[in-house]
Amino acid sequence: MKLQKYLRKAPVYLFLSLFFVISFFPVLFTFMSSFKSNMEILTTANTIFPQKFVFENYEKAWRMADFSTYTKNSVFLSFFCVVGAILSSTCCGYAFSRGKFRGKQAIYYLMISSMFVSLGTLTLYPLLMIMKVIHLNKSLWGVIIIRVFGMNVTNLFIARGYISTIPTEIDEAAKIDGCSFFRIYYNIIFPLCKPLIATVAILAFRSSWNDYMLPMVFTMTDPKRMPLVVGIMRLKSSGAMASSWNLMLAGTAISLIPMMLIYLIFNRYFVAGMTNGAVKG
Amino acid sequence: MKNQSAAIRNKGMRQDNRQAFLMILPFLLGFILFSYVPIIYILRYAFTDFDGYSVPNWTGLHNLQRVFTKDPDFWTSLVNTVTLSFFKLLAEIPLALLLAVLLNQKLRGIGFFRVTLFLPAVISAAIIGLIFSLLFASFNGMVNSILQSIGFIRRPINWFSTKGNAMLVLGIASVWQNYGINMMFFLMALQSIPEEIYECAELDGATGLRKFFSITLPMIAPIFESVLLMAIIGSLKVCDLVISLTDGQPGGQTEVVMTYIYKFFFGKSGRNVAIGYASAMSLVTAVFLGLVTLVYVQGTKRIQGGVKG
Repeated sequence: MKLQKYLRKAPVYLFLSLFFVISFFPVLFTFMSSFKSNMEILTTANTIFPQKFVFENYEKAWRMADFSTYTKNSVFLSFFCVVGAILSSTCCGYAFSRGKFRGKQAIYYLMISSMFVSLGTLTLYPLLMIMKVIHLNKSLWGVIIIRVFGMNVTNLFIARGYISTIPTEIDEAAKIDGCSFFRIYYNIIFPLCKPLIATVAILAFRSSWNDYMLPMVFTMTDPKRMPLVVGIMRLKSSGAMASSWNLMLAGTAISLIPMMLIYLIFNRYFVAGMTNGAVKG
Repeated sequence: MKNQSAAIRNKGMRQDNRQAFLMILPFLLGFILFSYVPIIYILRYAFTDFDGYSVPNWTGLHNLQRVFTKDPDFWTSLVNTVTLSFFKLLAEIPLALLLAVLLNQKLRGIGFFRVTLFLPAVISAAIIGLIFSLLFASFNGMVNSILQSIGFIRRPINWFSTKGNAMLVLGIASVWQNYGINMMFFLMALQSIPEEIYECAELDGATGLRKFFSITLPMIAPIFESVLLMAIIGSLKVCDLVISLTDGQPGGQTEVVMTYIYKFFFGKSGRNVAIGYASAMSLVTAVFLGLVTLVYVQGTKRIQGGVKG
């Protein structure tokens, strides 16, 4: 009986294990290759583990190939995007959930509808030109402003949904005590939003840390301002691609590590955020 | 007395409403500025010969005429985009659904698989392109060496030298990038199906596959619809992955519509900056994307209506 049960489960485990290998292998391969010498990367194809672990790649990438600057820029960009996303989503989520001003529904649906009119890469150039007006077209601040004030519809969804579940009795009590609308947000609602903040923060971190096209066009002329992904891709598109695979891989590993760690630690919020926001939309 | 307190309350209300509106205002302005102004920008320059520097001249429908009659490369890129999306989704969606069904079972260690199978979804698309371009490299690539060692191929394949192969690699990388997120959507949908329905079906003698087609699929249909729409629009808008993996190689044959237009906006790959013409192509693409969405929404409505009737 028991054996039969195990036999029935075996194909399931086998299939899942196959996909574990498929989804994990390229990541492992990247990390292992980042310890190979450039010679080994270019000549041997059939080994995953390096013949000899070379830590020099990281040192070179960090010191000579500007990866310390790229990392700093990535941290800078992500930090402000995350803080901005937390403020924008809780603010708007609260105002859309509790506010009673005229035209609220219309504004809400206008924002939601942008899901269908977003044109991805096609708007990069216009965005750059808009930022040129206030001279932020060559700085990561331009990216931050677009990302924060451009409003992420997914975050808005999650935030409005979450804040609507907070009982209104709490803010009615505060209102009787004389709290203004904003005061209620600041003193009562915001502190109650911790799970929401965690979710939004992680989603914002993921998208800003991984972002490529937008920061790329804003830092095109100035490598000193590039975030990690843009810096790595710059090596790839430069003529010296073949001779810098080791640096590229070390850089890739540097960019992957924080993302992986945060994913593994905050897994729950990740999945909740990414699925909730999107499906309800 | 009564009137007075009502007046005070009214005033408070008005103040509250003003504050609520003010909280939204900066984001509303930013939203209009970054979502709708770019569209107006495109509309404005689509009918000019603007090149980013000189004064734009109104050229009427000239750009659109060029898109429709003189630029087969644009249509190739659009066909590439649709072909890639179609075949990629044909593999990705059933795969994601199958994995979700498996992950929905109560087995020991299933949590481990839920975490790890989702891993690719948190990696940057550009980085994925980079990793896959190394994995599929012709002489030092892992994939060639594996295929050779199991005797599937004799000589290393140059994956990026023919259009078919390069598109295949793009498809594989894209499926790898996206199956995790769709799998999670489906898993969430599956978890919302009440257990009792299955129990009833079992009492009636339904078996595995029958249960899947008669209960699971209809129950997750609403979520399936929106997930599929997002997946279709998402893959039609693919850009980062293509730029970092093939960048149109060989010879611009694997260009997708977003990368193709991008090159005209920014003057990449030896093209001249042509804002006016790029805007016209953007306009055509935007209309195309809109039509796809519209047809999809209408189509699913009709199918639903048909099922209900």
